[in-house]
Amino acid sequence: MTFLKHVFLAVFGVAAGVGVSGGVFTSLIAVGLIPRFAGKTHTGERVFLYEEMVVLGTILGNIISVFDPFIKPFLHLQGSGVAVLIIYGFFAGTFVGCLALAIAEMLNSIPIFARRIGFRHGLGITILFMAIAKALGSLLYFAKGFYIQ
Amino acid sequence: MAQETVYLKLEKDVEIDSEDVFVKDIGKIYCSDTTIASRCKAIKVAKIREGDEQKKVISVMKVIELMKKECPGIEVENIGEMDTLIEKVNVLTSKNWKQVLKIIFVALVSFFGTAFTIMAFHNDIGIQELFSKIHELIMGEPSNGCTILEVAYSIGLASGIILFFNHIGGRRITKDPTPIEVEMRVYEREVNDALIETADREGKTIDVS
Repeated sequence: MTFLKHVFLAVFGVAAGVGVSGGVFTSLIAVGLIPRFAGKTHTGERVFLYEEMVVLGTILGNIISVFDPFIKPFLHLQGSGVAVLIIYGFFAGTFVGCLALAIAEMLNSIPIFARRIGFRHGLGITILFMAIAKALGSLLYFAKGFYIQ
Repeated sequence: MAQETVYLKLEKDVEIDSEDVFVKDIGKIYCSDTTIASRCKAIKVAKIREGDEQKKVISVMKVIELMKKECPGIEVENIGEMDTLIEKVNVLTSKNWKQVLKIIFVALVSFFGTAFTIMAFHNDIGIQELFSKIHELIMGEPSNGCTILEVAYSIGLASGIILFFNHIGGRRITKDPTPIEVEMRVYEREVNDALIETADREGKTIDVS
């Protein structure tokens, strides 16, 4: 009976994993972030590498968040940990910043808004202010501890 | 002399590496009279100098005009695009260290960004408590954090994304293009359409007057 229960858990786990990856990645692809990175940097021929990185990054993130108590002892980097934190924070922040605006753009909120209020110039300034506001908001969030209930 | 028909198929967007743009660079030409075909192919349609804007949009009307001037009495039939976007790329500088840096940057953003996304998602749904609850439901005791359920979930997640992206370590599983490759083409097409529209609106298209 215990064996059967284990089999059930295994099947359940695999199904949950496939389902989550399908859902999370369909939305990631629908936003079209990585094609945009590749298009902007004119490195379309390296799309394969970027996809590999998406796969590896997901596997790493999954291991860290699911097996958190078991990998903690291996992850104490002491001094060099700061460098890892800076690199990780910077690139994760870049990605989330692009994702936030890409989602806003996918919903056409900026074009619709610009058309309604009838402005033609100054889109660059608007975007710049959005970026500044996001950075300030993020700093405020962490500095003031908004995440503590 | 019977009137010769020249079939012209303009491309939507082309990349060139020389200053002069010829008809053969921006489209395909067929004519039963090969002399006319090769004369039409060698017509210069534009010149992109070093300091100029590196993108130009040319209308099929201009190409037809130039072809008619070169070989009077021909009939031109366009079966391709109405406008072509010409982009000048510098082959010499496109493979330098800047390009490598860009590739590394995008690769790192993709890697750490998706690692963050999946962790944020797991955090959002409280995956450890969720797995613990499921484990308790089936086995009667809470999960210690590393049971068959978590391992199976991780395997499922990895195989799901590999199936989704359709390749492992640079090798394709099936011949289909991967979702990002498809998205890439869609994105390119949208950008080209936008550039052609903008050039048309600003009156910068190389066209007949």
